[in-house]
Amino acid sequence: MNMNKATALTLRAGVVLGMVLMAAGLCVSMTGGGDSLLRAGILVLIASPFAGVIVTFLCLVIERDTFWASVAGILLIITTAGVIVSL
Amino acid sequence: MDPIILAGLMVTGLGAGVLGALFGLGGGIIFVPVLMLVFGLAPTEAVAISLIGIIAGSVGASTVFVDKGLSNVRLGLLLEITTATGAIIGAVVATYLEDWILMVVFSVIVYFSGYRMLRNPEKIVQPAEGADGRFAFNYSDEATGESVDYEVQNVKGGMALCTVAGMISSMTGVGGGMVKVPLMNIYMHVPMKAASATSSYMIGITAFSGAITYFLGGQVLLEYAAGIAIGAFLGALAGTYLTRRIQARHLRKYFSVVVFIMATLVLLQAVGIL
Repeated sequence: MNMNKATALTLRAGVVLGMVLMAAGLCVSMTGGGDSLLRAGILVLIASPFAGVIVTFLCLVIERDTFWASVAGILLIITTAGVIVSL
Repeated sequence: MDPIILAGLMVTGLGAGVLGALFGLGGGIIFVPVLMLVFGLAPTEAVAISLIGIIAGSVGASTVFVDKGLSNVRLGLLLEITTATGAIIGAVVATYLEDWILMVVFSVIVYFSGYRMLRNPEKIVQPAEGADGRFAFNYSDEATGESVDYEVQNVKGGMALCTVAGMISSMTGVGGGMVKVPLMNIYMHVPMKAASATSSYMIGITAFSGAITYFLGGQVLLEYAAGIAIGAFLGALAGTYLTRRIQARHLRKYFSVVVFIMATLVLLQAVGIL
C-alpha cells in the first residue's frame, strides 16, 4: 500500500473513531454521564495526526526512501521532545 | 449541555472547518474569538478547544487530500520540522514580548502576502530534466482534469521562514495556514491547491503538541470540545468537496480576500477593539 493511502487510512481510522466516541459521549451526557467516552474520543482525535506521522515514517522506511524517512523520523523526535518538555 | 449551545458550537465548527479545508487555514482565528465572545469561555479554555477543533478540521480534510495526493506529505513533514522548532522557541520567547506587537507584525505579514497573491499570477516551476527529482512532485487537479507537475523551489529559505511562522503561530495562537500557504505558493512555487492541502495536513501536526498538553493537564471542557470537533470535521469534509471542484485561480483570489479579513480581525484584537 503506498504511503499516502496508508497515512490517509490511519487518519481516517483515528478521526472516525474519535467522532463516534465523542458523539456517543454527547448522547450519554444528556443523562448526566459520558465523560469517559468524551475523553476517549478527544484523546483518539488529538493523537490522530501523530499516528499519521508514525505510519508515514514506517512506510518511508519500508520503501527505503532514506531522505524522507529521516525527515519523518526527525519530526517525530522533535514533536515528542516538545510534548515532554511542556508536561 | 443546552442543545442550543451544542448546535451553536457545531455550526461554529462547521464554518471554520469549511474555510480550513478550502484555504488551508486552521480556524483558530474564528474559534478563539467566538468561544470567548459568544460562548463566554476564558482564554485558556478557548485556546484548548480551538486546538482540538483545528485538529478535527485538519485530519478531516487530510483523509481526502492525503488520499488523493493533493497534500504533499513529504514537503509538509519537512516544513513541520522547522515550524515545530519555531513553535518551541516561540513559547519561550513569548514571555518576553507583548502580545499586541506580535499580532501587529503578524497582520502586516499577512496583508503583504495576501496582496502579493492578488497581484502576482501563480508561477509553477516544472521539474528540471535529468535532475535529482527529490523536490519534484505531482498532483491531480479534479476541477480541470489536469495532472500538474511541479518542483518546489527555495526549500532552505522556506524552512527558515517556517521557523518564524512557527514562532509567531505559537506566540499568537493564529497564523499556521495564513503564513504557510502564501509562503509555499509564492516563495516555494507550490501550486495553490497543493499548497492549501499541504497546509491543511500540516496544521493538525502543529496543533497536536498544544492540544495534548492541554488535554493531559485536564484543561479541556469536554462537551464544548466535542461539539466544535464534530462540526469542524463535517465542515472539513464539505470543504474538500468544494476544493476539488473550484478553479485554482479563483481559490487564490478568495484566499487573499479571506486572509485580508482575518488579518484585520487580528489587528482589531491587537489594538483592543475586539
